[in-house]
Amino acid sequence: MAMEMRLPVARKPLSESLGRETKKHLVVPGDTITTDTGFMRGHGTYMGEEKLIASVAGSVERVNKLVCVKALKTRYNGEVGDIVVGRITEVQQKRWKVETNSRLDSVLLLSSMNLPGGELRRRSAEDELAMRGFLQEGDLISAEVQAVFSDGAVSLHTRSLKYGKLGQGVLVQVSPSLVKRQKTHFHDLPCGASVILGNNGFIWIYPTPEHKEEDAGGFTANLEPVSLADREVISRLRNCIVSLATQRMMLYDTSILYCYEASLPHQIKDILKPEIMEEIVMETRQRLLEQEG
Amino acid sequence: MKETPLSNCERRFLLRAIEEKKRLDGRQTYDYRNIKISFGTDYGCCIVELGKTRVLGQVSCELVSPKLNRATEGILFFNLELSQMAAPAFEPGRQSDLLVKLNRLLERCLRNSKCIDTESLCVVAGEKVWQIRVDLHLLNHDGNIIDAASIAAIVALCHFRRPDVSVQGDEVTLYTLEERDPVPLSIHHMPICVSFAFFQQGTYLLVDPNEREERVMDGLLVIAMNKHREICTIQSSCGIMLLKDQVLRCSKIAGVKVAEITELIQKALENDQKVRKEGGKFGFAESIANQRITAFRMEKAPIDTSDVEEKAEEIISEAEPPSEVVSKPVLWTPGTAQIGEGIENSWGDLEDSEKEDEDEGGSDEAIILDSIKMDTGEVSNIGSQDAPIVLSDSEEEEMIILEPDKNRKKIRTQTISATQVKAPSKKPVKKRKKKRAAN
Repeated sequence: MAMEMRLPVARKPLSESLGRETKKHLVVPGDTITTDTGFMRGHGTYMGEEKLIASVAGSVERVNKLVCVKALKTRYNGEVGDIVVGRITEVQQKRWKVETNSRLDSVLLLSSMNLPGGELRRRSAEDELAMRGFLQEGDLISAEVQAVFSDGAVSLHTRSLKYGKLGQGVLVQVSPSLVKRQKTHFHDLPCGASVILGNNGFIWIYPTPEHKEEDAGGFTANLEPVSLADREVISRLRNCIVSLATQRMMLYDTSILYCYEASLPHQIKDILKPEIMEEIVMETRQRLLEQEG
Repeated sequence: MKETPLSNCERRFLLRAIEEKKRLDGRQTYDYRNIKISFGTDYGCCIVELGKTRVLGQVSCELVSPKLNRATEGILFFNLELSQMAAPAFEPGRQSDLLVKLNRLLERCLRNSKCIDTESLCVVAGEKVWQIRVDLHLLNHDGNIIDAASIAAIVALCHFRRPDVSVQGDEVTLYTLEERDPVPLSIHHMPICVSFAFFQQGTYLLVDPNEREERVMDGLLVIAMNKHREICTIQSSCGIMLLKDQVLRCSKIAGVKVAEITELIQKALENDQKVRKEGGKFGFAESIANQRITAFRMEKAPIDTSDVEEKAEEIISEAEPPSEVVSKPVLWTPGTAQIGEGIENSWGDLEDSEKEDEDEGGSDEAIILDSIKMDTGEVSNIGSQDAPIVLSDSEEEEMIILEPDKNRKKIRTQTISATQVKAPSKKPVKKRKKKRAAN
């Protein structure tokens, strides 16, 4: 087995000021945003001594009269309609507790869950006893946010056939602020794998199923062995996503795809080396800028 | 914060590795992690590091009235605290179960084993006795807290010195540290806890589990023993069923481990004693290397490199030998020379001005390269092959200074001026943007 070793050395990152017209106004907690009192306070700010002061580290966003600070690294804050990928931590009476990288564990009620077979009926006591048969501790699910409680906890539902238990694949955990909000978060990439971009920063990469399963509603795990070609595509995608996240690029299907194509000349394990990572991400940035205009 | 749950694949991976007798940090089944004991400047203060698990122990004493039913015995008080910096899961309100279990085990190990002679702590029967208080703080949690805590407790107790007291009739004199040297506690034996983690319903066993292994274990067996092979406490948790011979085997292993650890403790105590007596520097600051308090040193991991050389030889024998680099400088004119291959002259028949352009182009490239070895002797031997080229010096610009390098490197296009060549190699090399006339 060949090993590669390198000594730690301070590297100069390549210039990041490509194609950004206006420099973002970055603040750290305690920085003054503005002394103008005409603005309304948004998230991440507070009023102190006649000044608007930031309470989180991030970039300032201004919408008309509303000033808020969008944090760079944060836990996931739920919004209704978001797609999340989570892991079951507890099985309780009539509900599951799901870990979604937020401040509080999210809740998946038994009544918000698809029964196998897609039937719509009242959940009975037998359903409650059979909960562990559907989802156990440690299982991964994809779900949508139904409601947000007053304390910030999120209530999920899997009431569509595209949500449910996830089978074989790779999970990548990134910061939630890097996942771009789009119309759909389920993508079938042309390179041969599918990806679910959870808004909470959990990204699930899995092999594209050949035929769409209409019946199970996502509960039976497909345990057939995945072919080597598919596995290579998935590992390459995973490394690309990790390199995009390290370089703080927004993650959406186009950026991931461009990054995948830019990484093809390199070996999969080389993508994680710092200099190759920078090269690939620069190329991706370039292509994205050209595509925009 | 609640602990992030372990993913299924990580759990399966750990269990499968244990089935194949492999541990993540490369240890064998019965191996302990490296134990490091360091003492503070006060007597009775020590830090024990078991791998990355760190426990700080501090012993203090106070004169109090004894318990009513034990009028002639001193009082021992043990307290283990799980500091919030030890793990994200430790929060002020949330640790109760684990905390109670650890404290109880520690008390049984140290108090019920009678390792400290409490009768010697009595000053005036019924009125004044010493109360010895052992405070342990967990600074970092990487598995097996109980072992580290028990080692820290016993080391701190052995290291501690209490003020000397003398009783003359009714008069009790308590000497300060300046008046008389403090007196060590009388310790009969050193009980040390050894933990065994069981997996797959008791089929596999590991000594000294680290944090990951603790998360996937089925049950834990803790045996507290001293070096005389006397069991002080034995506790089995999480309800696994163990066979008689398993428990006996564990006690034998514990005996061996405790002997090693006791030896280590004795050595550490002796070292500290010696340093203090000789007046050398002691304390935590001395035990941290590299003069940096924040240095978190990684231990050297032993890697099996027995088969590395063979592969290297294979590769070397199969590879082609590296091409010989001839970096003989070629003197174009007394004024310019060239080392390395250089660009092919694609200008055809050059006139003076065109060649000058080419040379200037070449030197522009040379700005990017770092250094050349100047071999003045070699260069001066080469006679001029080409007709001297007159270059105008009107475009002389600023000079960039280079340091001469000892190594000869393979260089693509490089030109050095005659002044560099003629000057001795001690002078720093000047690399120019434009050429200067030889004269």
